[in-house]
Amino acid sequence: MSFLIGLIFQQSSPPDLDEMLKQFINKLRKPSPSMKAFRENGGGGPGKGSGVPAVSLTVLVLLVCTVIVGGSLLTGFYTVDQSERAVTFRFGKPLSVSQPGLRWVFPFIEDYRIVNLTGVRTIEIGYRGGQRNKVARESLMLTENLNIIDLQFAVQYLLKDPEAFLYNNRNPDEAVLQVAETAMREVVGRSRIDFVLYEGREEIASATLTLMQDILDRYQTGIFIQQVAIQNVQPPDQVQNAFEDAIRARQDRERKINEGEAYANNVVPQARGQSSRILEEAEAYRRSRIAIAEGSAERFNQLVVEYDQAPQVTRQRLYLDALEGVLANTNKIIVDQSEGSQSLIYLPLDRLLENRSLNRPANSDITLNVPLDSAEPATSRLSLEEIRNEVRNRLNN
Amino acid sequence: MNTQRLVIGLFGIAVLLVLIVRSVMTVYPWQHAVILQFGEIVSVRSEPGLYFKYPWQTLLYLDSRILTIDTVDADRFITTEKENLLVDSFIKWRIRDPKQYYNSVRAEENLAQVRLLQIINRNLRDEIGKRTVKDMVSGERNLVMETVRDRATATAEELGIAVLDVRIKRVELPQQVSENVYRNMIEERRRVANERRSTGDAEKEKIRAVADRERTVIIADARREADIIKGSGDAEASRIYAQAYGQHPEFYAFYRSLNAYTNAFGQNNDFLVLDADSDFLRYFEDQFGDQFGN
Repeated sequence: MSFLIGLIFQQSSPPDLDEMLKQFINKLRKPSPSMKAFRENGGGGPGKGSGVPAVSLTVLVLLVCTVIVGGSLLTGFYTVDQSERAVTFRFGKPLSVSQPGLRWVFPFIEDYRIVNLTGVRTIEIGYRGGQRNKVARESLMLTENLNIIDLQFAVQYLLKDPEAFLYNNRNPDEAVLQVAETAMREVVGRSRIDFVLYEGREEIASATLTLMQDILDRYQTGIFIQQVAIQNVQPPDQVQNAFEDAIRARQDRERKINEGEAYANNVVPQARGQSSRILEEAEAYRRSRIAIAEGSAERFNQLVVEYDQAPQVTRQRLYLDALEGVLANTNKIIVDQSEGSQSLIYLPLDRLLENRSLNRPANSDITLNVPLDSAEPATSRLSLEEIRNEVRNRLNN
Repeated sequence: MNTQRLVIGLFGIAVLLVLIVRSVMTVYPWQHAVILQFGEIVSVRSEPGLYFKYPWQTLLYLDSRILTIDTVDADRFITTEKENLLVDSFIKWRIRDPKQYYNSVRAEENLAQVRLLQIINRNLRDEIGKRTVKDMVSGERNLVMETVRDRATATAEELGIAVLDVRIKRVELPQQVSENVYRNMIEERRRVANERRSTGDAEKEKIRAVADRERTVIIADARREADIIKGSGDAEASRIYAQAYGQHPEFYAFYRSLNAYTNAFGQNNDFLVLDADSDFLRYFEDQFGDQFGN
């Protein structure tokens, strides 16, 4: 019999079940007196398929009992998914936390609860589904200076301790929502609006996460907060425009500063360039001064050598050369004062200078000139009066 | 005969089973089991496991987990500055002493919640009445929550309850006040915007001024440097001249004067009035250069 049942169950059941059935049957067989009859009459019955009428009532009852017991033992099978853990209990007492796979508990005596351990759960606060779908009750909150902001966030969590999750809170998932709200409002209530809106988003989120974890640990929920993500934070609709203008003002300020910097970046390098030019010019001046000085000195030195050999002649020649050069290009009036004449010479200097300003070629207009380069004097000597008249006439023309 | 025996046997087994079922009980970790005999508590089992009782004793399971009271609506409180404030809170509690819990509220969870809520609300009202809106929002939120919890503990103990936590969720201003808040916020932003714009102008001007200063300094420095260079050039030139001319000062004076005349008077439109007596014209009227007796 045991062999047969063993055969029947061999293909579909794990060995431990098989073992247990065997034991069960053995226990039944020993104390029961009717077992003998069962063995004699129905021993080959099921195998041959022809022994049915020969089976006694006792055998039938036993068979039914066996099927019921076997079937109910089969109900003890359950599977634990990769993301799950099962906590098993025997008479209500925690037995073990079982790992993923096909598991079995003894029906009636043992019991199990499956908990999704690694599956990440998400709750949304301030919105549902999309961010368009706001829940104002949850999203509007007060900041430190009694300003109101509109903040939507999501919390992702998973379980770190399935037993704590099961034993300590009636509705742990609901607790996460409540704790998320109170924690976020507490953190925001301690912060300034600009901090929440702009620079402090990350800090707000992490402070909320820490606070949430603290509270949930205090409740021993066995929950691990993985992330607090601020989806959206903005000033309420009523004050949006003013806030946007403030942001624009900030951009204006940046722009102004950039303009100033652009100016500085233009002016300073230009000044540097100018500075280099001034320095180079100075250097050029210095070099040229020295060069000229050296040239002049050398020239003079050479002349001195010649001069020392024939001072008188050289001196005179130089003098005449120079004056020749000077007088060749100038208008001249020669005045003789040696006769002891006391007459006053009138020279209309203003007119002469006026004349000069007309920028006429020098030699062409006043014939009083004595061209020194010509061999013969072009003019005879004139009296002062004549000169005066002549000059006046010339100028008047 | 045989069948009759079997029936009696089966009946006996059934009765036995019922008796067994009624005298066996299991307690899970999240339960308190209260065993009652004619409405009176006989014993309480809080440790998980298998227990036995007499079949006539009845069994009452209580939740040993943390329970929550979370009211749907926020309650209206008045702060010390007579401002209305809507405060929404939740309470975490658990059954601490099942016997007392049963005796005080007949293990009715609803009744327990109502009683607890009354106590907590009264304490909240007291605490909020002592504080300003600002205290409630930021500064003393935690203090209020802790005080209310501690105050409620004594009363809760009479109910066999432990109050684990009272936490304020939402603190809201009434509509009228909210409008004021919005107005203030707008004003404040305007101030910020104005400040930003004017600081922008100031910053820009400052940067420009610094740049201008730098330019002036750079050029002035360059000029100074340039003058020093030029001076050194002048000095060097002067030294060279002095060295050369020092050998023959008198001749140099003559030579240099001639050069100066050439440069000074050689221009086209100069007008020279010459004395006929001058050295240059010495031979002009007298081939022996002697007409004036010198």
